[in-house]
Amino acid sequence: MLKVKNIKKKFIKYNKKNKKEEFYANDGISLEAHDGEILGILGPNGAGKTTLLRIIAGILEPTEGTVEFDNLTYAQNELEIKSNIAYLSGNTKIYKTISAYELLMMCADIYGVKKINAVKRIKEISKSLGMDAFLYNRIEKLSTGQTQKVNIARCLIHNPKYYILDEATSGLDIISSQIILDFIKEERKRGKIILYSTHYMEEAENICDKVIMINKGKIIKTGTPEEIRNLTNTTNLRDAFFSLIGGVSNE
Amino acid sequence: MNNNVKKILKKEMRETLRDKKSLLMMLVIPFLIPLVIIGFSAFLDASTNVDVVKYNRIGFNYQLTEEEKIIVKELKIEPTVIEDTKKLKEAYNNDELDLYITKKDNIYTINGVNNETTTHASVLAKSYFEAYKLYLQSNYLENNNINSMEFMNMIVLEENILEEEAFAVTYMLGYTFMFIIMAITVAATYPSTDTTAGEKERGTLETLLTFPIKSRDIIVGKFLNVSLSSIVTGILSLILSLISFVVVNNMFTIYEVDKLQLSLLGLLFAIVVIVTYSFLLSGLCIAIATKSKSFKEAQSSLTPLTMICLFPGLIVNMVDIESNFVTTLIPFLNFTLLFNDIAAGKVNFLYIILMLVSTIIVIVLVFKIIIKQYKSEKVLF
Repeated sequence: MLKVKNIKKKFIKYNKKNKKEEFYANDGISLEAHDGEILGILGPNGAGKTTLLRIIAGILEPTEGTVEFDNLTYAQNELEIKSNIAYLSGNTKIYKTISAYELLMMCADIYGVKKINAVKRIKEISKSLGMDAFLYNRIEKLSTGQTQKVNIARCLIHNPKYYILDEATSGLDIISSQIILDFIKEERKRGKIILYSTHYMEEAENICDKVIMINKGKIIKTGTPEEIRNLTNTTNLRDAFFSLIGGVSNE
Repeated sequence: MNNNVKKILKKEMRETLRDKKSLLMMLVIPFLIPLVIIGFSAFLDASTNVDVVKYNRIGFNYQLTEEEKIIVKELKIEPTVIEDTKKLKEAYNNDELDLYITKKDNIYTINGVNNETTTHASVLAKSYFEAYKLYLQSNYLENNNINSMEFMNMIVLEENILEEEAFAVTYMLGYTFMFIIMAITVAATYPSTDTTAGEKERGTLETLLTFPIKSRDIIVGKFLNVSLSSIVTGILSLILSLISFVVVNNMFTIYEVDKLQLSLLGLLFAIVVIVTYSFLLSGLCIAIATKSKSFKEAQSSLTPLTMICLFPGLIVNMVDIESNFVTTLIPFLNFTLLFNDIAAGKVNFLYIILMLVSTIIVIVLVFKIIIKQYKSEKVLF
């Protein structure tokens, strides 16, 4: 189980007069995700989704608040938590000068997967994602869709319990996006916890068990897509979001 | 070494070895060093062994005596006698002569413009007058029944000035070490930029930070990779320099007496300085490049550091700075000074220790800065 308690993240920005100004990218965010659940984190660009997911993935430290993975915090054992996380975002890129196989072996080594097990696992992943044809090709030579498959394979290599996916389909064509969506559904069946951030409301509506809507660093609504639609008297999450923020987003 | 550091080092080394630009930066300057050593040696050899006999077209505005003709023949001078001084000057201006000599009573004047040809020819002309004066003086003394040999050798003057060849060796070694510093500097800047700002720009830094590896281990792995690249460049430069020394020793006469070489102790100290310099520079480059948002910005930020690295090498030879207890503690200056000491064959073991201590202190401080940067979100933005 994943518990996020009262996360606050303060950043410094410069205003028009070039003076320092503090602002909160996340302002008191709490959430819970259970095994076998896809939790959608929805919001417009700049809402604070990426900052929140980076904090949960241990890339950024929160100004306040804690993140617990099965009652374990980063302060207690950062490496143990990170060994059970797979983080994939639109910004997350992979090393291009090596082959997909070399990348997967490297990741397996870093995650402490034994070589004999790693070779076996790469074979399994390659088969299930259809990577056999380009497994030994350098990543720089692969298409966007193939690269995305390698990126997913990287996340699977250590069989993590938690998936943190930030705008993972952003900028991808429908085939590449579908690869990711299929992978998410498959991992849910295996009892994994998936945090899925997107600003495509329709996409979230289709795959998420529960969603959290964020605007300007604060949670504006939590619930299943159906609950939110009913509560706002709307037919889709997009309209529900606008209804909740009281009109067209100013982002 | 920590297992995670090894993993990062392995990953970084693979990237460096697969990157053509990194490899080029590592190898390009070391392979230029032999050319520089051979080129500079050829230049030194040519300037110290000028065959002045080639500049032997000398004009006279008077008829030469029989004695003068003998000396002219012995010194292989090609004399041209034009008694009209104006025409003689014209011949010189038309490049028919290397210089011309005019005579009024017993005053002889060497005429010409201060250029390379006339300067070399004047050396020949002065030798000619020395010989002629000696002949006249001996003749005069003998005519007056004085033993000219006894009279003219009342005192004997001997010279014990540093030979031109030894100067050439010190000079060449100094320049060789300066090029080695340059090679290491270039070799460190590229991979340090690539491994920090480059990773940030390519988006792989975020991936790296999600791995179950502590920031400190990531930094140490990156630092070791950049240091290894620099050390390889430095040692390769040194090896190629030593090979070049063997070649030039057999090619040029300036190394006939004093060979261009390094003693075993000098070689050992040179390796210590190269390794220490590589570590310091790698740490500084990573610290500076980590703050940059893009590869280009990192390269601009590292330019002043490159200048600082090369500056001591340029000024030490202009201003008379020597290694002592204070100067060997000053980063960058100490490397140049110690290399100069090695070149002159007078290395003080204590100075090496002081340099090591000062470098270790700076590296520890630099590491603290890098770790602080990696703990802050600024490393990503």
